Amino acid sequence: MTYIIYIAFIFMAAGLIFSAIRFVKGPTAGDRTVALDTLTTIGVAALVLLGYVFQRFVYIDVALVYAVLGFIGVIVIARYLEGAL
Amino acid sequence: MIYFILISVLVVLIIGAAVYAIRQKDLLYAVIATGIISLILSILFYMLQAPDVALTEAAIGVALTTIIFIITIRNTVRFEDERDKKDKFKSAVK
Repeated sequence: MTYIIYIAFIFMAAGLIFSAIRFVKGPTAGDRTVALDTLTTIGVAALVLLGYVFQRFVYIDVALVYAVLGFIGVIVIARYLEGAL
Repeated sequence: MIYFILISVLVVLIIGAAVYAIRQKDLLYAVIATGIISLILSILFYMLQAPDVALTEAAIGVALTTIIFIITIRNTVRFEDERDKKDKFKSAVK
């Protein structure tokens, strides 16, 4: 069971690195915004898995709040790029 | 030891995002980098067994800071070099 958590952490770290590379290289603002959204999603998954590792399931509330609120920032940036804010 | 890989990647990414946010001339990209800093800082607080601080950081850093900075960029200028043009900046502030 421990090996599965190891593999999941390695995959999450790889996803974070690739999203960060896309954030730095991305030619337009849309690429960077989508990279931020991807980082938020991977971060929420990491929070849930860490809550499992710590064996404290109250910690999942943090991931829940982050999943709700991380959406708003991306929406605001998208509205600004659209020019309708 | 089990999350050593994840915490090392997070520390490297938060330093990289901070340097990127400081040196970037496009202020919109700097705001997005600030959002990444807030995300990684929340995960680091969480890994240090402080979930209430992580909750506050998630609420303040992601939603409130990003919205206020975007509204500020909307009301002023987006690129940092345009700040030299005094009349445009003055008209944007008004």
